[in-house]
Amino acid sequence: MLRQPQSWAPGLFFPLLLAAVYSSQFSKAVDIAGFPFQNVSFLDFVLPACVIQGVLFGSTNSASDLAADIENSFMDRLLVSPVSRASILLARLASAFMYGVVQAGILITIFLIFGANIAGGLPSMISIVLIAALLAVSIGSFGIAIALRTGSQEVVQSTFPLIFVAIFVSSAFFPVQLMEGWYGSIAQKNPLTWIIDPTRRMAIVGFSWKDLGQSLGIISAIASLGIGISIRQLRRRLARAQ
Amino acid sequence: MENPIVAVDLSRAFGDIQAVDSINLSVSHGEVFGFLGPNGAGKSTAVRMLTTLLKPTSGTACVAGFDVVKKAPSVRKRIGVALQDAAIDPLMTGNELLRLQCVLHGLPKRSGEKRCKELLERVGLTLAGDRRVGTYSGGMRRRLDLALSLVHEPEVLFLDEPTTGLDPTSRMALWEEVRSLNQELGTTVFLTTQYLEEADQLAERIAIIDNGKIVREGTPTSLKSAVGAPTLRIDVSEDSLEAARKVMTRFGEERPARRNRIAIGLDRGTPGITDVMKALEEDGLEVHHVELDEPSLDDVFADATGRRLEGGQA
Amino acid sequence: MSYTNAADASSIAVVYAGILRGFSRMRRLPSLMIPSILMPVFFVIAFSGSFASIVELDGYETDKAVNWMTAWAVMQGAAFSGMGAGGLAATDLENGFFDRLRVAPIRPMAIIGGLVGYCVCRALIPITAVLIVAFGLLHAEMPGGILGFVMVYLSGIGMAAIMGLFVLGIVFTFRTLKSLAIGQIFMFSAMFLSVGQAPIQAIDGWLHNVAAVNPVTNVIRMCRQGFLGEVTWSVTQPGLIALAGMMIGTSIWARIRYKKVDI
Repeated sequence: MLRQPQSWAPGLFFPLLLAAVYSSQFSKAVDIAGFPFQNVSFLDFVLPACVIQGVLFGSTNSASDLAADIENSFMDRLLVSPVSRASILLARLASAFMYGVVQAGILITIFLIFGANIAGGLPSMISIVLIAALLAVSIGSFGIAIALRTGSQEVVQSTFPLIFVAIFVSSAFFPVQLMEGWYGSIAQKNPLTWIIDPTRRMAIVGFSWKDLGQSLGIISAIASLGIGISIRQLRRRLARAQ
Repeated sequence: MENPIVAVDLSRAFGDIQAVDSINLSVSHGEVFGFLGPNGAGKSTAVRMLTTLLKPTSGTACVAGFDVVKKAPSVRKRIGVALQDAAIDPLMTGNELLRLQCVLHGLPKRSGEKRCKELLERVGLTLAGDRRVGTYSGGMRRRLDLALSLVHEPEVLFLDEPTTGLDPTSRMALWEEVRSLNQELGTTVFLTTQYLEEADQLAERIAIIDNGKIVREGTPTSLKSAVGAPTLRIDVSEDSLEAARKVMTRFGEERPARRNRIAIGLDRGTPGITDVMKALEEDGLEVHHVELDEPSLDDVFADATGRRLEGGQA
Repeated sequence: MSYTNAADASSIAVVYAGILRGFSRMRRLPSLMIPSILMPVFFVIAFSGSFASIVELDGYETDKAVNWMTAWAVMQGAAFSGMGAGGLAATDLENGFFDRLRVAPIRPMAIIGGLVGYCVCRALIPITAVLIVAFGLLHAEMPGGILGFVMVYLSGIGMAAIMGLFVLGIVFTFRTLKSLAIGQIFMFSAMFLSVGQAPIQAIDGWLHNVAAVNPVTNVIRMCRQGFLGEVTWSVTQPGLIALAGMMIGTSIWARIRYKKVDI
């Protein structure tokens, strides 16, 4: 990770830039009728989403690396080694998790330095880091599935914009309650909204086991789907190799 | 009129590394001049300076009568350049690249189109003209590169390692082309190469470059005879090596050779071989293999630098 | 027949050839175009949708978010297209084709002009795509009429050229495709640190001061004015001055860095 700053530096740069810009230019948005929170700064509002966005940007890395390994046959060497199949997958997911934790930690620290307020204190902060990292792993597992299926780094990297789109069409940067029409209904049904909203409540209102449970529950659902597909793709690739 | 290529103390440093160190040369009209040296000797750097692509750190050069630094545009009008990596865009077709080259050299449309057709035919790529250059083989790319460099009938043609990586047939074809360009049109040719045979076959005069400096210069014949005696190489068994060496070095100076082989420069020339064979027989030394070579450019290089050029015989 | 006495290559012909070359590349690699169209189209949909209610605040001068955000998406698309010039130059530098251009008896500005001309023409595609989506799907309005559309295209083309020249300077310095990432960071910063998504009155803090002096602010205003009302000289003039100033600055930058392409 230390060796390739260009892989994670943009992941820090863009969310920070966006957070800085949005908190300034939309600072009065909190005054709009119907805004779900009172007496908050816009920075506090977008903090959880920015942390999640930063971590998600990095989640494609582990999938991309896996695709690169497949492309240059490193994967084949791993497969003939006595390393257990499951551990190949778990190792990637674990490193994605660690990556996510570190990145989320750095982002939260920077936000705090710039004056953000996390009402829930330490428990909320830990929750946010946990949620962000686990989300990175669960979305990353889909990336890994694609990497295993296609073996192409280019294809994996082209899924990156989809993550960007998914974050936007959610409650990440603006309350869904204030969105209209078909756009608003899509945003309301987006699972990311169901994850971000409770996370945000923990940041602004205070820590709550219910909110933590809701976020983690949805993430687990996504994760089990993603990991399940990945395992099936790994089995297929092994079958093909033999 | 001035010589088409003149370099005076031309040098180029990259940080601490002196890639080209004070070279002086003068190429006459219609001459084929060869720059021979191993990889990393500074050949490409020298060519890039002469073709206005790189600024010298000191010294001057005049090509086609114009200073390469101060009057670069005038130089560019009069030179053709085919560099080591064929300078082409793989997504374009051969025809498109030639047409672009015509625009770049200000050829009017009609005559430009005629010229493109002529050149494609000349380098044997007429059928491939509408294919993307990315699909061409290495030899085809070089030929197209050569065609591109000839679009405006330059006075001076620079070829940087024109046949490196080509198969023997393509290499011969390119040599033929260079010869005919020089003979039919009187184009001055400056070529760099790491292949001895290429320099020997094509160049009227050669400069040998090593570590950025010119170490020898002259016609191939004069360079070889300056080295002097032909090389006699004899293979013996390992335990006879020292004895054989004592015998042979009576007839000439020892030269670099590989294992179980002694090489000497035969002082008396080719007729002296019988003396050596007699002497070896008299001492009861068994000879496994004999070779007699007139000096080659490789010998010239070895004589000048103490090393063999890559691929040379020892 | 000797060609060495041929007329000096016409710079215009060289620029034109450069543009044609760029377009034939686009036809042969259509996947190059897709992100530069999809990104701004996504932006106009997402920003108009997510921030729909932002126009209830003071200063937006419209009651539909799409009227505000379309100009922003157009600018993004144009700027991104501008980077295509740098991409082509970097590819040429990496595969050696740039030598062929450098060794030809043409003026450096002709090479630069061809690259920039190509990305400017290319920018027309995403700009038009955004307008089609904005008006066809999102019900945008143009009270400024034809003149409003003129302002949109003018500012878009200008921005594409400026970004193209800027990124060329960076590519000439580093000579790799990866250096485009540096250009991207500058581009996003310049775009975001301005009135892209909010009017200057709504912005507070340090961003307000930055946006106030950022010349891109004037260009975005010039682009946006037709969506909000009549096109006026008082809004257009600062935009034109900003465009002219940035063009001159980036042209000089590109030309100076070109001299350093000395390998």
